[in-house]
Amino acid sequence: MDSQIKIDFENFLNKENFSKSQIQLKKNNFNEFVKKGFPNKRIEDWKFSDLNQIIQTNIKKLNFISSDLKQEDFEITTIKDFEHNKIIFLNGKILKVDFSLEENDKIVIQQNHNINADHIENSLVSLNSAFVSDYVKFTVKKGYQAKKPLIFYNYLTTDIASSALNIRIDIDLEDGSSLNVVDLSNQNLNNNFINIRQNFHVGENAILKKYFLDTENSKNIKYIYNNLDLAKNSHLEYFILSSGSKFLKNDITCSLNNQYGSISLNGIINLDGEKHHEIKTVINHKDENCKSYQLIKSVLADQSKGVYQGKISVDNKAQKTDGYQLSRALLLNDQTEFNAKPELEIYADDVKCSHGSTSGNIDEDSIFYLMSRGLSYHQSKQLLVNAFLNEVLEKITDEKIKIFIKKLTGLTNEY
Amino acid sequence: MLSIKNLRAKIDNKEILRGLNLNINPGEVHAIMGPNGSGKSTLSNILTGKKGYEIEGEVTFEKEDLLKLEPEERAHKGIFLAFQYPLEIPGVNTNIFLKTSINAIKKARGEKEFDAIEFLKLIKKKSADLKFDEKILSRQLNVGFSGGEKKKNEILQMSILNPKLAILDETDSGLDIDALRVVSEGVNTLRNQNNAFLIITHYQRLLDYIIPDYVHVLKNGQIIKSGGPELAKNLEKLGYKDFN
Repeated sequence: MDSQIKIDFENFLNKENFSKSQIQLKKNNFNEFVKKGFPNKRIEDWKFSDLNQIIQTNIKKLNFISSDLKQEDFEITTIKDFEHNKIIFLNGKILKVDFSLEENDKIVIQQNHNINADHIENSLVSLNSAFVSDYVKFTVKKGYQAKKPLIFYNYLTTDIASSALNIRIDIDLEDGSSLNVVDLSNQNLNNNFINIRQNFHVGENAILKKYFLDTENSKNIKYIYNNLDLAKNSHLEYFILSSGSKFLKNDITCSLNNQYGSISLNGIINLDGEKHHEIKTVINHKDENCKSYQLIKSVLADQSKGVYQGKISVDNKAQKTDGYQLSRALLLNDQTEFNAKPELEIYADDVKCSHGSTSGNIDEDSIFYLMSRGLSYHQSKQLLVNAFLNEVLEKITDEKIKIFIKKLTGLTNEY
Repeated sequence: MLSIKNLRAKIDNKEILRGLNLNINPGEVHAIMGPNGSGKSTLSNILTGKKGYEIEGEVTFEKEDLLKLEPEERAHKGIFLAFQYPLEIPGVNTNIFLKTSINAIKKARGEKEFDAIEFLKLIKKKSADLKFDEKILSRQLNVGFSGGEKKKNEILQMSILNPKLAILDETDSGLDIDALRVVSEGVNTLRNQNNAFLIITHYQRLLDYIIPDYVHVLKNGQIIKSGGPELAKNLEKLGYKDFN
């Protein structure tokens, strides 16, 4: 590994004011990353997306420290479609937290300087732990139903380029609470490597709805490591719209740790140009009577590449599990590539699980039918693509957010 | 209105149409009858612009070279095909599709597009005329429609788009007597001095309800005989075998 990263790391430690034990933890993580480096295709989880290669091709030389941030003349634009709470990140650091629409003391925010000692076999998580400085942890208090959604805004200042940014958020939904989160991952500046780690804990009877949106065209390379733990009778709705970045991998691990938990995980990969996106999910069924449903649809144009790796793992005590996943891809021309790797790992006997994966071209007979009614080729194709993706959008249960997302993407069937 | 001269068509090197001639004037209803494989569907595909055929000969529509036009341009000029097998398009709402379709045509003609209320009025009236259950229009296009519903939906589209030349490709196949009557009424209501119909069918049955001005017998890619409505009756009696 490049000696620049070592110099950057030393500078980073000198600049920030960490305790001795934190410095040791960070050094351990740093050494772990240096030893393994960026994942490449020899690692099973990365066989379809050689991140090391992708970073070398697109960024070449990365800065791991961004010491001279200019924040003063930065203008924030927020969406006006619906009232919402905000957390605004600038260059990976928290600029503003606004929960003014909620009751006092029901959502508690902590800025965390220190990481904990958990260890995850993943060099990018190690990198994140080594370099993350301030991160936010917030708790939705027991029984509190957030009145308005929360939006994460991610901004970069224009002086940021060829930088590695490490962002971390921890969210704890206490028992009986609920929260809807929109993660607007629209960093529009170029050639950065953005490494995000998010941890969610969803308490008993709690409901989390999370909408991750990457829609703005950028040359950024992004990795999101998402770990979600679900307690008894809790529900998670997770939606991904993966479309804007040059490279994006959503790496999601959900664990249904106790009975009657349920997950509805739905995603759209909609790409053009030479974009390359991946959704990788692992759903761990660890107890009885839990359900998980996954639907991923991909539309690939130009020379783009899409990947879905989905694993459902059912523990031997997780009887009466329902676990389903379905991936469908529409390839708009011959130069696109779609890879799917569905996996079922089942150790219980009373379960209902299935997986399916199809990929195909757009149906020219359907196009002809629509054209014979006066629609242009482009209009017909768009209508069919939108119809194909609409099934996933219809899984969104928050109506306001659904309308917002449809508007944002132009994925409506109104012409 | 439509003039076809010495039309030849091949697909995958197989010759299907072998020098077909046909003239259709405004106000006329023509029926083309023929056995399986005679080229009936190929003719309707070529007139509406389906890709994949090697074509020779000349087809003009209102003195314009039809073969140069894209399928949607033919629709804009007023050509309509009622499909033999209307396609199921999951995820596309029938109402929205109908509105998109008529407005695309109106826009191409430089006419004012329908707003939501005007469109709703039109569709209410047209579906009542055709005894078509409006509820079906809020469903996905042709998805889960019965055979009869699909065909009625084609006729509903025809009556909304009000074409100059409507081609009905075996619209009668798979219809029960009641549906046949409704479909025929749809055509007869629309029939006037300025438009024309080309009805493609295997059987004489439909022609009891829609009386054609001309009947043509298509065999081996050529029109081998033309006549009045009585030709269809003869054909029904004798079968296609005796026509050479």
